[in-house]
Amino acid sequence: MHGISWQSVDHTLDACIKCNICTTYCPVAAVTDLFPGPKYAGPQAQRFRENGQPISPDHAVDYCSGCRVCNEVCPTGVRIAEMNARARAQIAATEGIPLRNRLLGRNELLGMAGSFAPRLANFGLHNPVSRLLAEKVMGIAREAPLPRWSVDGTFGDWMRSTRRARLKSNKKVVYYHGCATMYYEPFVGQAAVAVLEHNGYEVIVPPQNCCGLPMLSNGEFPAAEAYHRRNTARLSSYARAGIPIVGTSTSCTLTLKEEAPELLDLHDDAVHTLRMGVWDLFEWLQEQHDQGELRTDFRPIELTVPYHAPCQQRAHRVGKPALALLNLIPGIDVRESHAACCGIAGTYGYKTEKYRIAMDVGAELFDFVHAQGPHIAFSACDSETCRWQMEHGTGIPSRHPVEFLAAAYGLYDLERRSLVSPP
Amino acid sequence: MLDLLVIGAGLAGLSAALTAAEAGLNVRVIAKGLGALHWSAGTIDVLGYLPPSDAPAEQPLEQITELGQAHPYALCGAENVRAALAWFQSLIAEEGLSYIAAAGEANAWLPSPAGARRPAYLVPAAQFAGALDRPDPMLIVGLLGMRDFYPALIAENLGKQGVSARAQFISVSEITDRRDANTIHLAQAFEQPHRRRRFAEALARLVRPGERIGLPAILGLDDHAAVLSELQSVAGAPVFEIPTLPPSVPGARLYRALRSRLRRYGVRIEAGMEAINFAADGRLIRWVETETSARPLRHHAAAYLLATGGILGGGFSSDAAGRLWEVVFDLPLSAPPDRNQWFRSEFLDPRGQPIFQAGVEVDSGYRPVDATGQPVYDNLWAAGGLLAHADPLRERSLEGLSIAAGRGAALALTRSAARQPAHT
Amino acid sequence: MKRPTKRIDAEILVIGGGSTGTGVAWDAALRGFKVVLVEKRDLTHGTTGRYHGLLHSGGRYVVKDPQSAAECIHENRILRRTHAHCIEETGGFFVVTPEDEGDYPDRFKAACVELGLPCSEISPATALRREPLLNPRISRVFEVNDGAADSFLATHVTAQAAQLAGAQILTYHEVVDLLTDSVDGERRVTGAILRHMTAGDDIAVYADLVINAAGAWAGHIARMAGIDVRVIPGKGTMIAMNHRLVNTVVNRCKMPSDGDIIVPAHTVAVIGTTDEKVTDPEHLRIEPWEVQLMLQEGEKMVPGINRARVLRAWAGVRPLYQEGFSGDTRNATRALALLDHQSRDGVTGLLTITGGKWTTFRLMAEQTVDAACRQLGVQRPCTTSQTEVPGVEQGHYWLGHRLHEVEEHRLQGDLICECELVTRAMLEHAAAHNPTVTLDDLRRDVRLGMGPCQGGFCTYRAVGILHENAAAQEQNPRQDDHRLWNIAAMQSPAHPMTANRKTAAQTPAFEPNLLLRDFLQERWKGVTPILWGSQLKQERLDQLIYLSLMNANHLPDNDLSSPLTEFYRFTSVQDGEDPDAA
Repeated sequence: MHGISWQSVDHTLDACIKCNICTTYCPVAAVTDLFPGPKYAGPQAQRFRENGQPISPDHAVDYCSGCRVCNEVCPTGVRIAEMNARARAQIAATEGIPLRNRLLGRNELLGMAGSFAPRLANFGLHNPVSRLLAEKVMGIAREAPLPRWSVDGTFGDWMRSTRRARLKSNKKVVYYHGCATMYYEPFVGQAAVAVLEHNGYEVIVPPQNCCGLPMLSNGEFPAAEAYHRRNTARLSSYARAGIPIVGTSTSCTLTLKEEAPELLDLHDDAVHTLRMGVWDLFEWLQEQHDQGELRTDFRPIELTVPYHAPCQQRAHRVGKPALALLNLIPGIDVRESHAACCGIAGTYGYKTEKYRIAMDVGAELFDFVHAQGPHIAFSACDSETCRWQMEHGTGIPSRHPVEFLAAAYGLYDLERRSLVSPP
Repeated sequence: MLDLLVIGAGLAGLSAALTAAEAGLNVRVIAKGLGALHWSAGTIDVLGYLPPSDAPAEQPLEQITELGQAHPYALCGAENVRAALAWFQSLIAEEGLSYIAAAGEANAWLPSPAGARRPAYLVPAAQFAGALDRPDPMLIVGLLGMRDFYPALIAENLGKQGVSARAQFISVSEITDRRDANTIHLAQAFEQPHRRRRFAEALARLVRPGERIGLPAILGLDDHAAVLSELQSVAGAPVFEIPTLPPSVPGARLYRALRSRLRRYGVRIEAGMEAINFAADGRLIRWVETETSARPLRHHAAAYLLATGGILGGGFSSDAAGRLWEVVFDLPLSAPPDRNQWFRSEFLDPRGQPIFQAGVEVDSGYRPVDATGQPVYDNLWAAGGLLAHADPLRERSLEGLSIAAGRGAALALTRSAARQPAHT
Repeated sequence: MKRPTKRIDAEILVIGGGSTGTGVAWDAALRGFKVVLVEKRDLTHGTTGRYHGLLHSGGRYVVKDPQSAAECIHENRILRRTHAHCIEETGGFFVVTPEDEGDYPDRFKAACVELGLPCSEISPATALRREPLLNPRISRVFEVNDGAADSFLATHVTAQAAQLAGAQILTYHEVVDLLTDSVDGERRVTGAILRHMTAGDDIAVYADLVINAAGAWAGHIARMAGIDVRVIPGKGTMIAMNHRLVNTVVNRCKMPSDGDIIVPAHTVAVIGTTDEKVTDPEHLRIEPWEVQLMLQEGEKMVPGINRARVLRAWAGVRPLYQEGFSGDTRNATRALALLDHQSRDGVTGLLTITGGKWTTFRLMAEQTVDAACRQLGVQRPCTTSQTEVPGVEQGHYWLGHRLHEVEEHRLQGDLICECELVTRAMLEHAAAHNPTVTLDDLRRDVRLGMGPCQGGFCTYRAVGILHENAAAQEQNPRQDDHRLWNIAAMQSPAHPMTANRKTAAQTPAFEPNLLLRDFLQERWKGVTPILWGSQLKQERLDQLIYLSLMNANHLPDNDLSSPLTEFYRFTSVQDGEDPDAA
């Protein structure tokens, strides 16, 4: 078992007073018996787990989606979601990890592999036969919203091919793109760069790798640790130099800030420095706005936009800055979802045995989107997997809030998801 | 910049936030997590038993004067408590939850989950038909397979107190196929119309003419009124809820109603925001920081209201050395100086445990004061279970005190001239 | 004195339902004696149910008390077979912290070799890998075969084994007098008068031999025959931490003293213990300095422990006997003391067995029953060292077993005590087959209320369930059949259920409100010495439940009390009583 120290989140089980608030708000426990609830699977079961047992005593913790709503509502500070993730890692260490989970954990490799021949990869994956096979052989639900590789090149390709047009400035930010932006949705990265440059920042995209979250969620801690250490080595110097590291994938930035260090029990200086230098993009933009430094030359966007703050965004615990900033755009009518979770929870909703649970969890959100009226063009959400799930559950396209900002600056086409000015 | 930052999302904090929002203030509520509303019976208890004699309080509003001048109720006075309760009753009715007061401002006496007579002042409509002074006999119905409710125990204990009651069971499978459902999940199951119908018909088969039916408090969460109404009409008898072990469905309903009302005023309740630091210029608090996934988040407000709930709510921490401290502002606390004096030897001692009377002392304007009686900070107010010289659980006054003090503190701060000007 | 209404004839009457008494009953029954065992309260109510749960390797005594050590080495091996499911193979460390005496570790090592105690020195780094929270400044570590023992289960299955061999076990029967007579000028003990604690009937038991295994109360019993046996009660206080911080028994490598051991016992870690001479073995006061000492000493083995959540504090009394001893009880021998009153006091028909430790209970029983055979003039060999008690097929205890079984059998919805994973069926079985005068009896059986919430949720549920069953029993009385339920599996959620479980609690007058109040008070007694931080918050939530929600202090029958009600009381400064007044 990964070594335990007094700083390990497992010790927060001592704070639990068995009050049941977490189980009350857990979106998974609300829809299935397969997950006995966060109190049970977390602090309660943790007292029965230890090093070196012949078998892992329980497996129900596998049904925790890691949405972190439990942490949000716990009055005493038990780190339930992290405790569950570590318990999953212990099971993985004892029993091994199924191939499917290893595959789902290797976002970066999968992305890279498909990016060499994206059209072929898309065709190969997104046809009924392949999906059926994937379900029967791998346990990946055939209906779950797997992404498509970008046929216009990766985000890295775009940065390279447009490097001469990129703004140079004394004000710099580092952009952490994450695997989804790199391989599936480079346009989100383009919108982010456009917004940052519009505000006078030079955007640095240094070498970086997957944040490791899919591996953390699937209990593959040693591999996740390797990823995090590499990112730390590559990025912490920017943090030390005071250059903010911003990201559009709110799950990735949360991982760099908190999840990787806490789950892996990494507390050294470099890791800490990196933590303190990472920002969710809208968290950072809000800060700029608070200091009067955000350009607000927005054109109107006359749209009603249901906005869902993903669990991982809420887990940043910085409020909902995307909501606040979207509301600065004239003409926009942002409707805040209060649903707990879209259900996808990273790789969770892709698994055959959890697909139905994920859809049941997300039902409240899907209903909310529909309830905002018949003419909704887009929903908004800061996390890529949530957007894909929302599109799947509502049939309505979803956009990252930065795409709205870029459009409001006149730099981006929301419909076609491309920059309007030449790069 | 906010006009008011409320720290704590319990009944006191939410009452204060609503009061301030109604006055047009820009308010935000932050809380480490959610709280005691989710554990309580869902009633608004004003005063149940008088310390130190433990005599029952039949007329709570009159009798709060018997609590003495040091008691936090003395800060409001009976008139303001009455007004605060009326304010609460009216706003919660607008949110779809009806709370009823017994006639003559007396306490209502309702069955507790153990079958004791439990005093309450404002009673959710769903519990009101359980009032023990009604003559109609009770049928207490439990769910076979639900571990948090025991109708036979309730009926027997009520019987020993002269209340006619009998117990029956309906299988939990009438309402849900789940084998592991807590009270909240069961309440949500009642919102399925066809299951609810089945259950109602099972009730109808059990009830005798002239009886009223007592059920565990799981009759719907958001759709509560519809559930209650259908059960009553199909069973052909009055139906009332009896509170259960936590999680409390009536408490959750109340929380959701208050949250919903706050949203109407644009007030956000940010759970998961734990206050960890603050800064003050002399006696003016400038900001409070909350813990995030990385850098602390700073909240700037003209005024701050602390409603963190004392030991129960997590507003006070303690250690082996016998120190008790207030976790956000390190306010001075009135507390037994020596750990040896914290407890009595009986858990159920009617005089209560001395440590639970510990708390923050405030002036007549609800500002925390130091040993000389001076406000510690000019723009800080405090309300609720964290106030000194009351043990709200022992005297059964937690909700009444929270609403009255929360509202009173917010009214005081909106009137106060010592607010930090919003533009600096 | 009332006239006894019943009479029982036996060959051997054993007084005391702790590990020693049940061990004696088992041994004697296996040897074919007709045995009756009586215990004034519940099995393990005394010392056996109040210790830290150590299965001694003997390491603690190799230097100081080699005789005790030798006994432990021998018995450790045996118990691992005969009572396998009551033992957890935690292993043990003897660690040398910066404070520990210079030459003791070497003397320790040498003494282990000499006594044949399996002991291997391992590197501190190895020890830290296994136990990451250990003091990093430990310089040497010796590994031994300490284990953790569940004395509740062990005593119950030993009693069950005795019953299966024909013994009769009577709990809640107090010996109020010994029967004696004189034959040819020789005094002899012929039996005892028992009083049923709740029903109040008196029973006369006539026996050829009475064995006084009453532990710390042995002197009290002996006095009934006019014999002076001075048992020194050595109070030991210990505390349980909310969760296991170590999975290996950790001892300081030094002369045994206060607070120098941490035992992982079920879901908690126990730091023990003190050793103070007291006069009353019944009412034991936990002193603040004792709690502080445990935390302080625990800190030396596991730095940081004094900031972790403490769950509970309790005390037991070691029955220490040493002819003519009058010093510090820490220095009294832990060896067993078998008193043949025929030679010692000229009284036949009575043996006293006292002293010793849990690890050597079987040996104590063997020697006692050997002496019984001698007095009774028969030769019957002991077979307990080769006899497994019921339940050993479950294998050694492992921490996760309840969690595993609950998951395998999908019992989450049946949990009554969620903290310790006690199902409704487990509770009902235990209540139906062991007399339940107080919920504390059930606690000992199945661990009800022993987790973080200290009965906050499960007290109410347990009372509700027992009440339901009592009402059902009243309407449909059923014969209770011991054979259908296996006590040996009482801690197992997966144990097959039988339809018979809905028998009422075996208690003459079922008073649910009293059960509720008594248990709440019993739990309170053990938490007040350690109530701060998270545990204080927990207790406040428990108060919300029982005061505000349940209104438990205004239930009917508020004036009822049980034989235990008074036992759960204790003095505190706040009551205006002088805590130092005895």
